Amino acid sequence: MSPLLASVGAETETAFTMPSINYYAIAPILILFGAAVVSVLVEAFVPQRGRRPVQLVIVVGSIVAALAVTIDLRGTRLVTGEGAIAVDGPTLLMWGALLVIGLLGALLMAERSIDPLGDAFAPRASALPGSEDEQEFTRRGFLQTEVWPFLLFALTGMLVFVASNDLLVMFVALEVMSLPLYLLAGMARRRRLLSQEAALKYFLLGAFSSAFFLYGAAMLYGFSGSVSLVAISDTLSAKTGEGSLVAIGIALLMVGLLFKVAAVPFHQWTPDVYQGAPTPVTGFMAATVKIAAFGALLRVLYVSLGGLRWDWEPMLWIIAALTMLVGSVVAITQTDIKRMLAYSSIAQAGFILVGVVAASPQGLASALFYLVAYAFTTIGTFAVITMVRDASGEATHLSKWAGLGKKSPVVAAVFSLFMLSLAGIPLTSGFVGKFGVFAAAIDSGNTWLVIVGVVASVIAAFFYVRVIVLMYFSDPTPDTASVVIPSAFTTIALTASAVMTIALGVFPQWLLDIITQAGVFIR
Amino acid sequence: MTDTVTDVNTGEQVVFWVCAILAVAGALGMVLSRKAVHSALWVALTMINLAILYIANSAPFLGMVQVIVYTGAVMMLFLFVLMVVGVDASDSLIETIKGQRLAAILLGLGLGILLVWGIGSGLVASPTVGLDAANDAYGGNVEGIANLIFTRYLLVFELTSALLITAAMGAMVLSHRDRWKEVASQRDLSIARFRSGVHPGNLPNPGVYARHNAVDTPAILPDGGTSDLSVPQPVRARGDERTLDQVDIDEVRQITEGSGE
Amino acid sequence: MNVYTPILVLGLLAFGFAAFSVAAATVTGPKRYNRAKYDAYECGIEPTPQPIGGGRFPVKYYLTAMLFIVFDIEIVFLYPWAVAFDQLALFGLIEMFLFIITVLVVYAYVWRRRGLEWD
Repeated sequence: MSPLLASVGAETETAFTMPSINYYAIAPILILFGAAVVSVLVEAFVPQRGRRPVQLVIVVGSIVAALAVTIDLRGTRLVTGEGAIAVDGPTLLMWGALLVIGLLGALLMAERSIDPLGDAFAPRASALPGSEDEQEFTRRGFLQTEVWPFLLFALTGMLVFVASNDLLVMFVALEVMSLPLYLLAGMARRRRLLSQEAALKYFLLGAFSSAFFLYGAAMLYGFSGSVSLVAISDTLSAKTGEGSLVAIGIALLMVGLLFKVAAVPFHQWTPDVYQGAPTPVTGFMAATVKIAAFGALLRVLYVSLGGLRWDWEPMLWIIAALTMLVGSVVAITQTDIKRMLAYSSIAQAGFILVGVVAASPQGLASALFYLVAYAFTTIGTFAVITMVRDASGEATHLSKWAGLGKKSPVVAAVFSLFMLSLAGIPLTSGFVGKFGVFAAAIDSGNTWLVIVGVVASVIAAFFYVRVIVLMYFSDPTPDTASVVIPSAFTTIALTASAVMTIALGVFPQWLLDIITQAGVFIR
Repeated sequence: MTDTVTDVNTGEQVVFWVCAILAVAGALGMVLSRKAVHSALWVALTMINLAILYIANSAPFLGMVQVIVYTGAVMMLFLFVLMVVGVDASDSLIETIKGQRLAAILLGLGLGILLVWGIGSGLVASPTVGLDAANDAYGGNVEGIANLIFTRYLLVFELTSALLITAAMGAMVLSHRDRWKEVASQRDLSIARFRSGVHPGNLPNPGVYARHNAVDTPAILPDGGTSDLSVPQPVRARGDERTLDQVDIDEVRQITEGSGE
Repeated sequence: MNVYTPILVLGLLAFGFAAFSVAAATVTGPKRYNRAKYDAYECGIEPTPQPIGGGRFPVKYYLTAMLFIVFDIEIVFLYPWAVAFDQLALFGLIEMFLFIITVLVVYAYVWRRRGLEWD
């Protein structure tokens, strides 16, 4: 029958069966999604002045509710939505981490007493930078409260991303997570042109990488006839010797995912975006996107492509080594602290990749621990950066941090703690994390990768420690920035991340236990 | 496994050759056109022909989406972007990074060769299954898609609305200018117009009895003269206004008074 | 082949009609050109001068374009739903309503924030 008539002549009733969905298992997603929709309605119907408090209640309330459900779900291990969503130990662990970090990020974004002009976002992102409109909006204290629905949508996307058991679901989640972040990156209150440039670069390159991901998924579908991770894995073990479609598929899929984790050949966007985006957004994004992207990467590699580990491991070895080295070396040359941290985040992605390529349950566990530890430290780091300011806004040039330790000893000490943790000094969470991934790599026989990792760590330690030396061992100059006392929002976020950085460094066992109980991905 | 190459009937072959040639022609036209808008229109040609090919290959849903989304929405956005950026904006062709263009061409070619080789050998190695089994499972291609959307991909389908919301909200945030000044209402505008002292109402129409272009023909006043106000200012400025001679006026009188004939 | 014949005939008819109309108009129509007639429109409005900046349109058109695309994509989902409506029954109706209502939320946002007003 001709294709045109096929759909017309189909009167044969095929029984449609309703999908079986365990709504409670995906309740955290539904809560955040519902809250995001409600917060769009708030933007529509609540008058200008009332929006911020209402949005804050919705954001904090929904994240806390989702977190409570996530905790209640612990031990759950099921695949729902006809095989599209997997709720297992690693999923729940990453949900928990994403929600907590999301909450801290929301607190940073809610801060309004650091900048005398208002919060970190432009009063109206559509007003031309420097225009009369912009000044008038600032004078009237307008706030762009649309950032709250964007935050909730991004978190929703991340939650789905780490739980998706299907490449198509993963792709949609990737977009749901990325689109709001592109927008948020372009909404800074100060240095707006830089911020808009960052958003544009992030958007263009991000769209490009999403296209690669989709192309890769299409190749894998062409090979296996399915986009389900499990079905692809089954086909891989059944069919052998038809490698080219699979190889291309994996390579393209990896481009899309490695772009999001900022691994080296695909890292070019990171410094510009980290520098240009409003600092609370940078902190939120640096921490959560890393978790979400690595979560998806781990699931794809472990659930779907585990049978082909001999094919993808060499590729990831090289990428991990390059990522660690390039990130660490280039970070040394940076003079802007946000750019330096961007390169540092690239190097950190390399360290996590060392755990990923171990391709063992131990590797998964160590990568998860590293991600959680890194996320807390990172969001704390950017919280400090929001507070170090001069007359023109945040003082991100390193020279303005000289002697900060003498002017504001407490904040400098907290920042030093984060730097030490990122460098992987013992008694901080970063040390436990690094130790874990390196141990997993040695167990899998990747000793040379560990050697590269240690070399990169030493290089990286140089620029982390340099900031500490700059803060404590040089005298304040007239240019030295001053630390603004924040409101409770930033204080809570900063305290929480500092406490976690120490707690995971001194008593890491409880999180290690949780990760052990979480086990491996469900198949 | 049936050999699909000999399975193709004449009708399909005709459709393929017509549409394939047009699609490639459109793609070439897109690359070779000097004007951006022309390029965009060439793409539309390619898209439509691809849609026909999809439909001919038992994928009517894909074909329809190709028309609705690509030829409709995406092309419109393309044209639109071109217009926002400026149709004749001549981009600087100077390379900011040295050797970038050469590197891009080489890498692009490399990726292209790799993909063509890989996909080609992959297709040779794997048997062609065709769409019949998939399409018949639910009584048709579109029904099959519907069954997938409403079962396995139900959550994703609902989640897509998040994308749509973000897109529209983002467009609002980035481009919609909130007002902080009071906007003049129609009443205000009307009052202002009368206060200003210039002619408040409509200007007289052009010469409606004219047998020429009405725009450039002035209306005739009762005294037989012409009203300059009845010809649009730009036409007057360009000197395109017609001057009326006695012949025209007689002609009009003939029509209005019915004399003669 | 048979099933394609009506389509082919329709295509030929459409092409023939278009060709005939153009040809007939050129042959039979009077040709009295003047400068005003060469302008894009003859309805009395001078073609708008080029927007500021040389051929650029104000960015507020962008919102219209995006809104169009949002609802265009929505239609893509309506299409299979409508075709398989009898199979999906009430469940499909409810889910589709959920989807449409969710998308309408942003419509409400655009409307309330004066995104649909032209000034």
